[in-house]
Amino acid sequence: MTTGAESLPTHFARILALVNRMGAVWIAVIALYVVSGLVSPGMFHVDQVLNILQVSAFLGVVATGQTLALLVGGIDVSVAGVVTMSNIVSTSVMVGHSETMLSGIAICLLIAAVVGLINGWMITILRVTPLVATLAMNSILFGAALVYTGGAPHGTVSPGFLVFGQGHLIGLPVSTLCWLAIALAMVWLTQKTVFGRRLYAVGANPVAARLVGIAVRRTVTAAYILSSIMAALGGLLLTSYIGSPSLGIGDQFLLTSIAAVVVGGTALNGGVGSIFATIGGTLFITELNSFTNIVSVSTGTQFVLQGAIIALSVLLYRLIGAKRAVS
Amino acid sequence: MASDKDRFVYTRRQALRLGAAALGITAAARIFPAFAADAISSATISTAGETVSGGKYKKKGPYRIGFSNGFSGNTWRTECLASIKKEAGQQKDLADLIIVDGQGDITKQVNDIESLISQNVDAILCIANSGSAVAPVLRDATKQGIVTVPFNLPVDGEAWTAYIGTDPEKKGFALGKWLREAVGESAKIVALGGLPGNSYTASAWAGAKKALDGSNIQVLAFKDASWEEDKAKVVMADLIAAYPDIDGVWCDGSQDGAGAMKALLAAKKPLVPVTGDDYNGLLKLYMEQAANYPKFKIGLLSEPTWESVVALRTALKFLHGEDAPKKQIIEPKLITAENYKSYVRPDLPDGVFVDSDLSDDELKQLFKA
Repeated sequence: MTTGAESLPTHFARILALVNRMGAVWIAVIALYVVSGLVSPGMFHVDQVLNILQVSAFLGVVATGQTLALLVGGIDVSVAGVVTMSNIVSTSVMVGHSETMLSGIAICLLIAAVVGLINGWMITILRVTPLVATLAMNSILFGAALVYTGGAPHGTVSPGFLVFGQGHLIGLPVSTLCWLAIALAMVWLTQKTVFGRRLYAVGANPVAARLVGIAVRRTVTAAYILSSIMAALGGLLLTSYIGSPSLGIGDQFLLTSIAAVVVGGTALNGGVGSIFATIGGTLFITELNSFTNIVSVSTGTQFVLQGAIIALSVLLYRLIGAKRAVS
Repeated sequence: MASDKDRFVYTRRQALRLGAAALGITAAARIFPAFAADAISSATISTAGETVSGGKYKKKGPYRIGFSNGFSGNTWRTECLASIKKEAGQQKDLADLIIVDGQGDITKQVNDIESLISQNVDAILCIANSGSAVAPVLRDATKQGIVTVPFNLPVDGEAWTAYIGTDPEKKGFALGKWLREAVGESAKIVALGGLPGNSYTASAWAGAKKALDGSNIQVLAFKDASWEEDKAKVVMADLIAAYPDIDGVWCDGSQDGAGAMKALLAAKKPLVPVTGDDYNGLLKLYMEQAANYPKFKIGLLSEPTWESVVALRTALKFLHGEDAPKKQIIEPKLITAENYKSYVRPDLPDGVFVDSDLSDDELKQLFKA
């Protein structure tokens, strides 16, 4: 039995603790959704919820991989190039035939793994700063896509492949289900496995991690390989959503993938964060885009709104986090 | 079906042949009345501004000409480059066409043009990344007696020799006028533009608004969709949620139009009248879906990829000492349900811009189709 005077702060602390465990970003996701729904009732429609979930999946899968790169204290801006690569390669291999679907997917994933391996190698062996190494890789991938296509991309996806980006299963978009499956697998990998603990340890303090016997180079390289593979998977989902190749398709992920992860609460300097929070971060960024698309504002105002809301939300739940630390 | 397809190809080839011949005529002409003749395909070229005398540029060949391309990496630029390279190969007194790529960087393009000047080229062609940034360096080049021909996107002032391009405001107006007729006087429409902040969309939309003035047409939203199908589809999906009844879509590029129509299809909504350009993806979509959606109509004005050919020919004219107009404004023919079959290319990828001087085989080779 607690007295009434004690119960309120206790409950409040419990709620805060719960929020903090889930990732404070979820408050922002819910608050933004309610506010945008009040401004534009269309946001409350089931169809629009499903639409946001469908569109979130592309960014969500890419950001899941980005989270791993950030967790080990790195950053992966080559995800933009990997998305473009997977779009160009998959459509040019599939060329609208069913029998080429699996080879199209496999080749993209294989290239992505090699890209991740080279990123990891540049960062751990050659000691190139992650930002510079992956920026260089991004440029190489875009250039390679230009050379490969001659600036004139051709091909289209296999008919059966469209289901991943456009289909629905048990009332939910297939792309969303793919995203959740990938994200939950990564939640398990980061939270329940030795490899996951190593990711956090390496990101928090690579020297200490090495001293306790963790293979730091191998762990970091594995994080970049996974990041690249997930960027390719995100690219494949987006390709399935639209069906055709486009050389500029990946550019949008260069910064939004990092924004989604950081808004989720993952630290830019490594060792802190979670995939679960990135799901929230992704939903937040997609909701925000959707909201600013719907409200009648100019593109300029749209950018200002997006920037201000991201900054405000990060500030707000940092305050919530600080409050909990004090209590 | 096969015979139908063959017929369309033949019709288009015929149009191109006629157009190419007509361009030959215009190229040979010394006096430039309003170009009544077709240029390439079915567009016409009108002139504006004074006639520029070629006397002071006259030189003996063979010539070296530079082309500063603001960036490459979309299919329009790819076809534009293929066209100019093909044309360069056919000009006997052209020794060298030096193509430099600004990679989307305003400063790099200025440096590129400076390096062309230092290489003593006889003429500089240019698609500007920024119409204000390249103006001073083109002025310097012109002062040094180099023929300067910006094309496709305008350059500030008039300190260049001649300009070739469409008039985005006029195009936007014509597309707006077509849409107004297609959707009726009290419809609800949305508008999708290109890259945020680009001047082409701003002018085109300004033209469209003039065309819509005086009607009860309600513009529910104007959004930038970057001329990318995927972005347009995402934006349109949001707009459909906010505004369940959309009677028409104004776009200045058909990638936006195709993305918007695909969003309507995904939302199981009927397709509606849409505007755009000569992007094959929307033409193919129209061919596939027109029968299913009676209200689905297209009103399209191309942005011809052969502008580069006209620019190169114009530069050579000045070097030959011939006169040419200060501005050549390309006026494409409206593509609608009635004539789209002459333009659509079912056998080529969505990314192809069909108003091209390249032959079917050349396009197939370029797109590895």
